[in-house]
Amino acid sequence: MDSTAEADVRFDNVTKHYQNVVAIKALNLDIPRGTFFSLLGPSGCGKTTTLRMIAGFEHPTQGEIFIRGERVTDIPPYRRNFGMVFQNYALFPHMSVAQNVAFGLKMRKLRRDEIAKRVRETLDLVKLNGFEDRYPKQLSGGQQQRVALARALVIHPTVLLLDESLSALDKMLREEMQVELRELQRKLGITAVFVTHDQEEALTMSDRVAVMRAGVVEQVGTPSEIYESPRTEFVAGFLGNSNFVDGVVVNASADGAGIDIGGEQIRIDGCTASAGERVRLALRPEKIDIVADHDVGNRESVTATVREVIYRGAATHVYLERNGVRMQAYVRDAAGLEPGREVRCAWAASSMVLLRDA
Amino acid sequence: MLTARPFYRRPFFWAVSAPPLLATLVFFVGPLLLLFYVSFMSPSSTQLFGNHATFDNYAQSLTDSFMLLTIRRTLGVTAAVLGVCLVLGYPVALVVARMTPRRRLITMMVLLFPLMISNVVRAYGWLEILGHDGLINLVLVKLGVIDFPLRIIDTFQAVVIGLLTILLPYMIISIANSLTAIDRSLHEAAESLGANPLRTFWHVTWPLSSPGVASGLMLVFFLTLSAYVTIALLGGVRYKLLVSAVFDAVSTLQWPQAAALSFILLALALIAGALIQLVLRPHRVQGRG
Amino acid sequence: MKKFGNFVLMAITTLVFILLLGPLVIVIVTAFSPSDSFQFPPPGFSLRWFFDFFSRDEMRSAFTLSIELAIGSSIVAAVLGVMAALSTARSGKRISGVFQSLYMAPLVFPTIILGLSLLMCYRYVGMPVLAGLAIAHVLVGMPYCYRATFASLQSFDYSLDEAGQSLGASPLKCFFLVTLPLIWPGVLSGWLFAFIVSFGELNTALFLTGPGVTTLPIEIFGFLQFNGGQLVVAAASALQIGMILLIVLVMERAVGLARLVRS
Repeated sequence: MDSTAEADVRFDNVTKHYQNVVAIKALNLDIPRGTFFSLLGPSGCGKTTTLRMIAGFEHPTQGEIFIRGERVTDIPPYRRNFGMVFQNYALFPHMSVAQNVAFGLKMRKLRRDEIAKRVRETLDLVKLNGFEDRYPKQLSGGQQQRVALARALVIHPTVLLLDESLSALDKMLREEMQVELRELQRKLGITAVFVTHDQEEALTMSDRVAVMRAGVVEQVGTPSEIYESPRTEFVAGFLGNSNFVDGVVVNASADGAGIDIGGEQIRIDGCTASAGERVRLALRPEKIDIVADHDVGNRESVTATVREVIYRGAATHVYLERNGVRMQAYVRDAAGLEPGREVRCAWAASSMVLLRDA
Repeated sequence: MLTARPFYRRPFFWAVSAPPLLATLVFFVGPLLLLFYVSFMSPSSTQLFGNHATFDNYAQSLTDSFMLLTIRRTLGVTAAVLGVCLVLGYPVALVVARMTPRRRLITMMVLLFPLMISNVVRAYGWLEILGHDGLINLVLVKLGVIDFPLRIIDTFQAVVIGLLTILLPYMIISIANSLTAIDRSLHEAAESLGANPLRTFWHVTWPLSSPGVASGLMLVFFLTLSAYVTIALLGGVRYKLLVSAVFDAVSTLQWPQAAALSFILLALALIAGALIQLVLRPHRVQGRG
Repeated sequence: MKKFGNFVLMAITTLVFILLLGPLVIVIVTAFSPSDSFQFPPPGFSLRWFFDFFSRDEMRSAFTLSIELAIGSSIVAAVLGVMAALSTARSGKRISGVFQSLYMAPLVFPTIILGLSLLMCYRYVGMPVLAGLAIAHVLVGMPYCYRATFASLQSFDYSLDEAGQSLGASPLKCFFLVTLPLIWPGVLSGWLFAFIVSFGELNTALFLTGPGVTTLPIEIFGFLQFNGGQLVVAAASALQIGMILLIVLVMERAVGLARLVRS
C-alpha cells in the first residue's frame, strides 16, 4: 500500500519555532484522502498551528508539507487550494451572503453564470437558499456558520480546514451542526481537518483522531482505538475518565500478563513489558461492574471500599477507595451501595490497558 | 451615577448638566444664529448692520467674478490637498496599522506632536524652507543648480504643501484607526479563497477602511477651509481663498458680507461631506456584529 | 514583488515624516543661530534671539498672556467638559446622541466662523477683550475635555457609585470621592489638551485680540506679515514648541502615552 498516494495531507518531520518557544516538535502525520480527521488537544498543544501550516498561514521552521503529493511548504496560501472555516467565521461584513460565497470563485475567474450556479447549489447544500441578499450582521450565529461553510466548499477545495468552528454555537445547535457537517463531508467525499479541544466532538465526528500535547502527537487512531486503547496516560485521561493503577509485572507472555497491583494479582490481555517492570494501567469507570463475589465469573476483580455514591441520571457514579488509591465506577444499578461498604469490582481483562508514557 | 429613579428628575443632574449646556447655547449656538440672521441684513457704515432684509449678500458673492474665482481657487486647493493627503496618508496608515502596539503608540505620538504646535509656527518653518532666502534656494544656489532663487512662496504649491503637512496626521490617524479595527481573520479568509495580497487589499482592506477614509477626508476638508494663517503666510498677500475673503470682510467691518461668506463656506463643507458619504458609503461597514 | 511594495511603503512613510517634522526642526535649529538672517546650517550656537525676544515688551507680554489664558481657559473648559460628560454619559442613545454632537461640534466647526460670530456679539454687547477671548478658548477646548472624560466614564463601573451612596454619601460626595479619582486620568488628559489647544490657538484669536491683548501666535503672525526676516520669530516659535513639549512630557508622566494617543 503506497501511503503517499492515499494521503491527502502529509507532514514530513515538521518543526515550528516561535523565537525560543517550540510549538511543534518533529511532526510526522498522514491524513488519508476522504477522511474526517480531527486534531484534538488542550489549548497550546499546537493543533491550531498545525492546521494553519496546512493553510500556509504559518511556515514550518523545518520539514516539509505535502498536499496530494505536491510539496507546498513554500507556496503562499492564496495559491493552495483549500477551504477554511474560521473560528469567528470571518465573513466579509461589506458583502452579501451571495457575494461572500462567490468570492473564491471570483478569484478563480469563473464566468458569471457559472459562479451564480455554483453559489446557488452550495447555498442549497447548506440549506440557506433565499438568504443570498442578506448581510452577515443580519444573520444568526448558526446561519453565519453555514455561510462560512458554503464559502469554503463552493470552490471545491482539496482539503477543508475547520478551526474550532463550532465552539461559538450553543449546545443544541452545535450537535445539530456536527451531524450536518459530517453528512456533508461524507456526501462530498472531501478530506476535512478539524481542530477541537472538545473530546466528545472529536469522537462523534471523526474517522481518525490525532491527540496532541505540547507540540507532539501522542496517538493517532480511530475514535474507538484511542478511546479503548489509549497508549499514554495523557490520552487516557483526556478522553473520558480513566482509573489509573500502578503495578509490577509478575509474568509476561505473548497473549497476556499477570500484574501485581498492591497485593492482588490480575491479568491483562497482551503485554509489551517484561517481568519485574513497573507499569501503569488504565481502566475506564464504565467498564467496571460492582458485583457479588459469586457473580465475578471469569472477569478480573479487586476489592474496594465505597466512599460516595452519586446519582447522575443515565448512570450512577460510585467513588471507591482501594489501598489509599481512589477509583471510579459508573454503574446502572446502585442498589445496596452505600459509603463504607466493601464491594467487589469486576471487569473484563480486555478492558484494562497498559500505558506507555510518551 | 444616578440610579433607579429616572435621573432627569434629580436636582444634582440639573445642576451638573445646565452650565455646559448654557455655555454652549449662549456662546456657540446663539452667536451662530445671530450671524445667520445678519447675513440677510443690508450693510451699514455706522452700526453692525442695516435694517432691511436682503439676499444681496449671498447673491453678490455668488455672481461676482472675483468671488467666483476665489471659490474656484479654494476648491482647487482643497482638492489638491485632499488628493495628496490620501495618496501619501494611506500608505503611512498601512504601515502604522501593521506595527506592534508598542511601536504604533510611539509612532502615533510622533505624528500627533506637530498637530499640537500652533499653525503659525509650522507655516513659519515652511517659510524658512521655501522662501526666497530659504533652505531650498540656499542649497540649490550653492550647488550651482540654479543661478537665481526660485519663487516658491506665494504660490499654489506652497499653500498646498503647507496645508498638507498640517493635515496629514489627521488623515493618517483616521485611516489607521479603521485599519486596525479590521479583523485579521478577514485577510486570511480572503487569502484562503485565492486572493493575492493586491486583490485582498482591493476587495477587503480598502472597502473596510472606508469609514476611516471618509472621516479623514471630511476632517481635512473642514480644516482646509478654515486654515487662514497658513494660506496668508504661504500664499502671500494677494492669494485669496474663501477664508481670506471672510477675514477681509470683517477687517473692513462689512458684517453682513462676512456673515454671508461664512455660511457659503459652511455650505461648501456640508456639501462636500455629503458627497464623500455618498461616494464611499462608509455606513455599509459600520455597526458590524 | 512583496519586497518592492514594502520598500515603497517605507519610502513614502519616511517622506511623510520628513515633511511633518522638517519645518519644526528647522525652526528650532534657527532659533539658536547667531546670525542676522537665515542660514543653514547655522554658523554657531547662540541664545541672542531669545534675549531679543524677552527684551521686547510686546513679545514678552504676549508670551505671558498666552500662558495665563491657556491655564485659565483650560480649567474652565475642563470643569464644563466634565459636567457635560457626566450629564450625557448615561443617557439613552438617541437623546444623548444629540447632546454629544452638540458638545463635540466646536471640534470640526471652522473656528474662524466661531471667532467672527463671537466678535460680532461682543461688539454688540461691549464685552471686554480678554474675557471675550477667554470664552472663545473655553469653547474651543471644551470638546477635548468632554471627549476624554466621556471615554473615561464609559469604562467606569457605576456600581461603585451606587455602593458609595448605599454607604451614606451624597451624590456630590460620591462624585468627588469615588468617581473623580477613577476617571482622573481622562479628565487630566482632556485638560492638558485644552491647554495645548489654547496655547496655539489662532483663528479665534485673530478676531478677538486687541491692543494690549495679544497671544504669542498672533504676535508671531503679525511679525511675519509685517517685519519678517528677523530671527526673533524663530526664538518665539521655539518657545512655543518648547512649551508644548513640556506639557506633553508632563502628560506622559502623569497619564501615560496610550491615553494621550487615544484622545
